[in-house]
Amino acid sequence: MTSKPHHTEVIRATRSSRIAMTLCLALLLALIAMPWWASSGNIRWAIELSCYIAIAQMWNLLAGYAGLVSVGQQAFIGVSGYLLFVLAQNFGVNPFVAVLLSLIAPAILAVPTYLLLRRLDGPYFAIGTWVVAEAVRLATSNIDYVNAGAGLTLRVMTQYSQHEREIGFVLLCALLLLTTIGGSYWLLRSRIGLALTAMRDNPVAAASQGVNVGRLRFYIFIAAAVGTGFAGAIYYMAQLRITPSAGFDPFWGSMSIFIVMVGGIGAIEGVLIGALIYFLADRLFGEFGSAYLIVLGLLTLAIALYARGGVWGLLQKWGDHAWFPVRRKLIVEDTP
Amino acid sequence: MQWLDAVIQGVLLGGMYAQYALGMALMFGVMRIVNIAHGDVMILLSLIAVSLAGVLPFGNLGLIVVIVPIAVVIGWILQKFILNKVVGADPLPSLIATFGLSIALQNFMLELWSADTRSLPNSDIASASFQIGSIYVGLLPVIVLITALVLTGGLDAVLRFSRFGRGLRAAAADTEAAAMTGVDPKRIYAIATAIAVGILGLAAVFAALRATVSPSDGSAQLIYAFEAVIIGGMGSVWGAFLGAMVLGVAQAIGLRIDPGLGILFGHLVFLAVLATRPEGIMARKK
Repeated sequence: MTSKPHHTEVIRATRSSRIAMTLCLALLLALIAMPWWASSGNIRWAIELSCYIAIAQMWNLLAGYAGLVSVGQQAFIGVSGYLLFVLAQNFGVNPFVAVLLSLIAPAILAVPTYLLLRRLDGPYFAIGTWVVAEAVRLATSNIDYVNAGAGLTLRVMTQYSQHEREIGFVLLCALLLLTTIGGSYWLLRSRIGLALTAMRDNPVAAASQGVNVGRLRFYIFIAAAVGTGFAGAIYYMAQLRITPSAGFDPFWGSMSIFIVMVGGIGAIEGVLIGALIYFLADRLFGEFGSAYLIVLGLLTLAIALYARGGVWGLLQKWGDHAWFPVRRKLIVEDTP
Repeated sequence: MQWLDAVIQGVLLGGMYAQYALGMALMFGVMRIVNIAHGDVMILLSLIAVSLAGVLPFGNLGLIVVIVPIAVVIGWILQKFILNKVVGADPLPSLIATFGLSIALQNFMLELWSADTRSLPNSDIASASFQIGSIYVGLLPVIVLITALVLTGGLDAVLRFSRFGRGLRAAAADTEAAAMTGVDPKRIYAIATAIAVGILGLAAVFAALRATVSPSDGSAQLIYAFEAVIIGGMGSVWGAFLGAMVLGVAQAIGLRIDPGLGILFGHLVFLAVLATRPEGIMARKK
């Protein structure tokens, strides 16, 4: 402590956040090391879970911060998946490099999509994104170059051994989580994060404080499209097969809504909790098919009606132990 | 001649879409809510109609007398237990709530009725047709179109001239100011939703007569209703009707070019309208 009359300090990390950060890094390293300690089945699960987390966090960024509710994110999953298959299969690009190149597709699609749909009021914007996704799906199933409705198979993956593939996949997943979760965290702690939080709480007031709401929404929409597309490309590369009805499946939208709403909207912690709940529920109850989906639907409905903060919101009531704190705490000490 | 036929079939198809779209336009106009389960509720009513047709001896058009009151009750329940809790400036809660409802409803219908496609038993009306020049026109689609016209005109008149219509327009413009002048927004909302879902009941019987329905069809109907409302111009009942005609014609023409293109053409016309005339063909009347 200095002897100045006022000592001020901005605290951004908490004990819980240090523990969480250490855990996250440990988990990330464990993920990268998976090919050397885990079974192929478990690696497959890890890839799937990483994709769920990434897609859900991108939706969270849109709906939880930018106020853009989308039910058509599957458009971006499909187009980047398809571009990956075309690049790798028809142009002979190394598939692991092609994953990164395929991110151009969602970025390019997101620009006209946003510019057209921003003209629609809140709830109509959501259904507009769905129309775009459906239009892209129908267009894809009419293009013979990508095998129309029958879809594509990623045969070039046979040139790699199982072990090589697994190393490639875990590295891609680690990069995916770093960019989507790590990137969101970095963004939310930056100056833009302040603007985003202000916008989430009240867009009109944020605009009056100098936040360019329209431009920020535009950037977030594109960033979310690219992040979602990244996850989609990895997912379908692991599946080795893509069809229009799978790649552009509206279920991707339902899944991200479920994960974010159950976990807790507007918080990275919520996405992680929600993704874990969804992943476990899917493993345990997925076999019940439509009965399981009725419960998922009713749960989403109940959360929208009675507990909008989701599980993380309920946990917050017991005490503030943020894993990813984005707040700035000002400490002012008067020294005698 | 082939194209004239496509246009006529498209307008007739538009009659069906107009019936889906009217309720959506009404609910959005007054509550700024889009019910994502709109199409699923319609399919639910269709499936109830198909199941009742096997039990009740009324004939197909008599079913309407049974289904519409059921629809009104469903609308009332929807309003009372879900929509009233999520009405507000933030679109997120209403979207998520009705989205969850849509998933639950779809899978509930799948459990109850299985994934089979069903339709109402064939009747004279459904198969009758008449000839104009060299073009055949089905009697049922014409009845559907006329019904849509009457519903649109009736709804427009109710909104313009009745006490309820004035209250609704006032509540839509400014809920709090309307409440101060003695309009009860909750009551207005309840009546609006009851009318919207009641119209869906009518549409449901026609849809099951015209073609087949299956539990997963709801999302497509929601999208058509939405496209019709946006193409026509938000906030106008006649706009929704006209938008439905444009959508129907676009799909029918696309279908003639290639069977895989019908629905895609509808989407493209929607996007084109959004790009060139975002306020809709019939701009909102102030």
